[in-house]
Amino acid sequence: MATDGSAASLSPHQETGPIERFVYDDAVVRKFLFASIVFGVVAFLVGVIAAIQLALPPALNWEIGGVKPLAWLEFLTTTSFLNFGRIRPLHTNAAIFAFAGNALFAAIYYSTQRLCKARMWSDKLSNLHFWGWQLIVVCAAVSLPLGLTQGKEYAELEWPVDLMIAVVWVAFFGVNFFMTLAKRRERHMYVALWFYIATIVTVAMLHVFNNLSLPLALVQMFKTGQTPAAADWLKSWSVYSGVQDAFMQWWYGHNAVAFFLTTPFLGLMYYFLPKAAEKPVYSYRLSIIHFWSLVFIYIWAGPHHLHYTALPQWASTLGMLFSVMLWMPSWGGMINGLLTLRGAWNKVAADPILKFYVVGITFYGMSTFEGPMLSVKSVNSLSHYTDWTIAHVHAGALGWNGLLTFGMAYWLAPRLFQAPIWSKKLVAAHFWLATIGIALYILGIYTGGITQGLMWRAFDETGRLQYPDFVETVMTLMPFYWIRVIGGTLFLVGGILCLLNLVMTWAARPAKYEETVHEAPALGPVFIDPPPQPTEITASTEWAKDVDQKYIKGWFHRVWERKPAKFTIWVLIAIFSASLFEIVPTFLIKSNVPTIASVQPYTPLELAGRDIYISEGCYNCHSQMIRPIWAETRRYGEYSKPGEFVYDHPFQWGSRRIGPDLAREGGRQSHDWQMRHLENPRQLIPDSIMPAYPHLLKDALNFESIQGRVDAMAMLGVPYGDLVQKGKAIEAAKAQAKELADTLVTQQGYADMGDKKAIALLAYLQRLGTDISKPPPAEPAKPATASAGGLK
Amino acid sequence: MAVKDFLSDHEYDGIREYDNPTPGWWHAIFIATIAFSFFYFVYWEMNPRASTPQSRWAAAQTAEYKRIFSSVGDLQNDEATILKMMGNEQMLNVAQGFYQSTCIQCHGKDGGGINGVNLTDDNYKNVKKLDDIFNVITNGANAGVMPSWKNQFNQNERVILAAYVASLRGTKPAAPKAPEGDPIPPWPAPMK
Repeated sequence: MATDGSAASLSPHQETGPIERFVYDDAVVRKFLFASIVFGVVAFLVGVIAAIQLALPPALNWEIGGVKPLAWLEFLTTTSFLNFGRIRPLHTNAAIFAFAGNALFAAIYYSTQRLCKARMWSDKLSNLHFWGWQLIVVCAAVSLPLGLTQGKEYAELEWPVDLMIAVVWVAFFGVNFFMTLAKRRERHMYVALWFYIATIVTVAMLHVFNNLSLPLALVQMFKTGQTPAAADWLKSWSVYSGVQDAFMQWWYGHNAVAFFLTTPFLGLMYYFLPKAAEKPVYSYRLSIIHFWSLVFIYIWAGPHHLHYTALPQWASTLGMLFSVMLWMPSWGGMINGLLTLRGAWNKVAADPILKFYVVGITFYGMSTFEGPMLSVKSVNSLSHYTDWTIAHVHAGALGWNGLLTFGMAYWLAPRLFQAPIWSKKLVAAHFWLATIGIALYILGIYTGGITQGLMWRAFDETGRLQYPDFVETVMTLMPFYWIRVIGGTLFLVGGILCLLNLVMTWAARPAKYEETVHEAPALGPVFIDPPPQPTEITASTEWAKDVDQKYIKGWFHRVWERKPAKFTIWVLIAIFSASLFEIVPTFLIKSNVPTIASVQPYTPLELAGRDIYISEGCYNCHSQMIRPIWAETRRYGEYSKPGEFVYDHPFQWGSRRIGPDLAREGGRQSHDWQMRHLENPRQLIPDSIMPAYPHLLKDALNFESIQGRVDAMAMLGVPYGDLVQKGKAIEAAKAQAKELADTLVTQQGYADMGDKKAIALLAYLQRLGTDISKPPPAEPAKPATASAGGLK
Repeated sequence: MAVKDFLSDHEYDGIREYDNPTPGWWHAIFIATIAFSFFYFVYWEMNPRASTPQSRWAAAQTAEYKRIFSSVGDLQNDEATILKMMGNEQMLNVAQGFYQSTCIQCHGKDGGGINGVNLTDDNYKNVKKLDDIFNVITNGANAGVMPSWKNQFNQNERVILAAYVASLRGTKPAAPKAPEGDPIPPWPAPMK
């Protein structure tokens, strides 16, 4: 069948440098691999807890023979640091940065050394990278449950941790990787390395630009003239606000999927799949075209997370179209993966490692078809804010990242620990547990998500919403939420089996690892280009032959592949130019965000309440963005306008409506109702699945830090007038708190709330979305006053 | 055509590469998505006559108001109108939708009252006669315990909502709250 290039055609060029001897550093790979699987188990466990939390509140009252078997779990809905709003970011960060992150580092450190025929440039940097990254993971595990968050999805970690990430990623990982490339003994870079290069430079760019923020402690020290309290050291605000912040966040958020969870894993696939299958990669040409199209097109796709929002329509349209165009570049990777296995399907049937790859790559193909489909605006109007999105990301994260990581782990274990895998049966068992677990998880949530989306938009024949009561649509989800719990638990059990298998294999390791010494000539100073392949074009001009030989057959690219610096610069040009096409107009075109005269800055107390809203993670369940869709305005009120968010550092539009939208929450309920609802939502709404926040009604509000908060906003351009004078903001906050607390008493609500955290949150909630129906202020840019918000 | 399964001379750590041509259907779909995107962008972003989400929303609003209220026209808050609406099944059904999306958090799904008043008994705090209900909905009451809804609902909507609330009187909720305020005379009979 094949015109097989004979072995004699290999390496026509002989390197002229001296023969060198070297040993690969597998110790760091072992560490990253263990870290990945250990944190993977933690991430899956936290995910199962989060899944239980959403299904739990109605189940607390289940009775079997007079006993309530689940009642003891009530602490999962009432404990501040365990509430869903804190646990969900912990889950996502652990899965992305600890599980997938450590997995991609293990893959890169193992394969880069072998593809470069060189040990990592610096063992010291390798170890700094490993320990630095684990420190970041530990900081995340502590800070997220404590509510220390920037309030932007997947970028929750506060500024000191962000700085650590930047240093570890660029100075330790990046430098080590690129220096290893520079010192390589293999002339050309294999496709896996291209994907690693794209990963390293793009993640660095995304991370830095999305996380630009102003820390409270620095404002207090240099502007307010105050010694920061301990907690103030871990608080900052995005320098962007509203529409721009939303744009930057999803430019980051979507490309975190692209360059943290896709490109490095494609690199992983390109190395470990042909290794495990012992087959050549299907198509070199396809790898070139799908690499470059993926890198260039992916960057544009972010705004598809913001369809029908206050983001300008042109950006949303670009987001959709580039997502649609991304379909084939993504599938290029899938084709190259699956077709590499041509003629090896008998191996797949026998080898569970290849099964992990085949199903993983298939999930990649499914998700990268589904992604463009969900980006189409009309589909998105149904899917957005529902569990459909959650199902989609889990098909990707569990199916693609998870299964590829496990396949790699089982392939690496005998090689790294130099002992046969402890139990092949457990590998096979893990494969089936994981696959069935994912299937249950996503099918359950697909059904739930689509059902809820359809219920939200259903009208009856008289023109009224068919399901006006939001909680009714939540209750419909409960069976699907339990199916998700079961699927997630199966996946978790599989992860535990993997860890067990790795530990037992490790336990059987030799007393001392054997270290193979490799030999290769250093790269000589001169490389003579082999001639381009002969062209089959005969009946045409010289020009066409030239194009075919140099470009269509990828000869030009062969030149880039031996020049890492040039290659990296081309990647940078691709990602920067694509980014700037969207970023520059988003920031520069004034008409994107028409100002609304009646929209005024938050009062100091509301600002403090907003920070509590962010800290409790309310945005994980509540959107603040009503789309111009009739069913939506009927349910929540007038649709959101871009100008309403100009003072929102950071934006809080949210991405999932586990609870109802809050964009027009202000004034919809009495103060008394809001307080009772915060204390325990089930006092008022028996079927509510929202956590209870009794601590907010007990914990004292730190008025002293409010001046710094107002000063910080003023530095970011919010017109606070004379409230920035020392102590003025605190006075204003206290006055408004007293007024609200007094009103609360006249409403026969709780007494003595004037100095509690809940009063600030109440002030913020009662302000939400109300400015638009107020008359514009008499004089322009009037500073916010204490009585501006809330009910009169 | 290009040679199938031509094994290139590339070799990295034992991994080799075929130089197979990219599949034709792959090219075809890729080019089709690019072409689609071009025309889509030109039509929706460069065509001043293309509709926008906002213009489609406004059209939907007009159509929906027409669908709901075309049979009754503009409604005034007076006893006769409310009584007429109390006898109009369709309007009561629409108003029940408003009630369930906004009022049940305080007044309960069946009007029995949670931290809002019981709407089913004969006692009222801020209502003396039928057309007072509309005013309470419009302006709120009790120092903001009952919020004002005039920004959320237009006049017609508040009139039929008042009629729905009036129609709850005399129904039997599952867990009625104790009466608050003073008893008032029963409503006149609804008009069909």
